[in-house]
Amino acid sequence: MADTLIKSLALLNTKAPYSNTAGKDALDIALIFGSFEQKVSLFFQGDGVWQLMAGQNGSIISVKDYLKTFAAFEFYDIDTIYVCQTSLTQRNLPANFHIEQVQVLNQQAFAQQLTLHQTILRF
Amino acid sequence: MYNFSCTIFRNKTVNKLAVMITTPPYSNLSVTALDYIETALKNGVELIGVFFYQDGVLHADAHVQIASDEFQAISHWRKLHQAYKLPLYLCITAAEKRGISDEQTQNISPIFTISGLGELVELSTMADRLVQF
Repeated sequence: MADTLIKSLALLNTKAPYSNTAGKDALDIALIFGSFEQKVSLFFQGDGVWQLMAGQNGSIISVKDYLKTFAAFEFYDIDTIYVCQTSLTQRNLPANFHIEQVQVLNQQAFAQQLTLHQTILRF
Repeated sequence: MYNFSCTIFRNKTVNKLAVMITTPPYSNLSVTALDYIETALKNGVELIGVFFYQDGVLHADAHVQIASDEFQAISHWRKLHQAYKLPLYLCITAAEKRGISDEQTQNISPIFTISGLGELVELSTMADRLVQF
C-alpha cells in the first residue's frame, strides 16, 4: 500500500470560517504547497463545509474575507477539492459553492480519497 | 512518560520523520507530541525537524511561564534540542501575530530557528512521514 501512495498533502478543514483562523491557516499552507508545485488536495467536513458556501461576506463583521482567495486555486494547480455530502445534509446546505471544481462525495468515498494522500493535516 | 508503541519505528517503516506542532504549551496534546518525538529519537528515527504553527508557536515564547507543578513542555524541547540537535522551526508570521518577535519584543527562545511555511514544504518533501499534534 505504502508504495502506491503518491507524495501528496490532504488539508482537512473542519471549522467554520470567521470565528477562528483555522481556515485561513490551512489556506496559507495550501497556497505555499501549490506555489512549490507540491500536490495538495482540500477536504471539507463537518462545520468546515461552511467555508465553501456562496454569498458570504466577512467584511460585514470586520473579518478579512480569505474565502475570496479560494478563487485563485486554479493558478496554484489546486484542483482536487472534496466536500462531505453527509456534512452538507446534516446542515441542510445546498451544493452551491463559491468556487468550481468542488466534488461532493459520500462518507465512504470521502474517506477513501483521504487515504490516498500520504499526509493529512487537520484544521 | 506514555509508552508509545514503537513498532513503526523499530520496523523502520519510517526513517525520516517530521512533526508539526499546532497546540500550545499549556495543552496536554503537547505532552503526547513530546512523548512521540522522544520515542522516535530513542529508536534511532531521524527526526528532520519540528515545525511550530498556529498556537504551537507559543512554545518559542521565552516569556511563557507555566505553574511549576504542571508539565514543562518548553524545558522538554530544550532537553531534546540539546541531546539530539533537534531542529525546531518557528513560523514567524504565526509568532508575530501572537507577540513573539526577534525584532520588536526579542522574546524568541534561542533554541528555535526562525522560518516560514516554506520550511514546512521542505520538511514534508524530505520526510517519509509528517505528523501533526
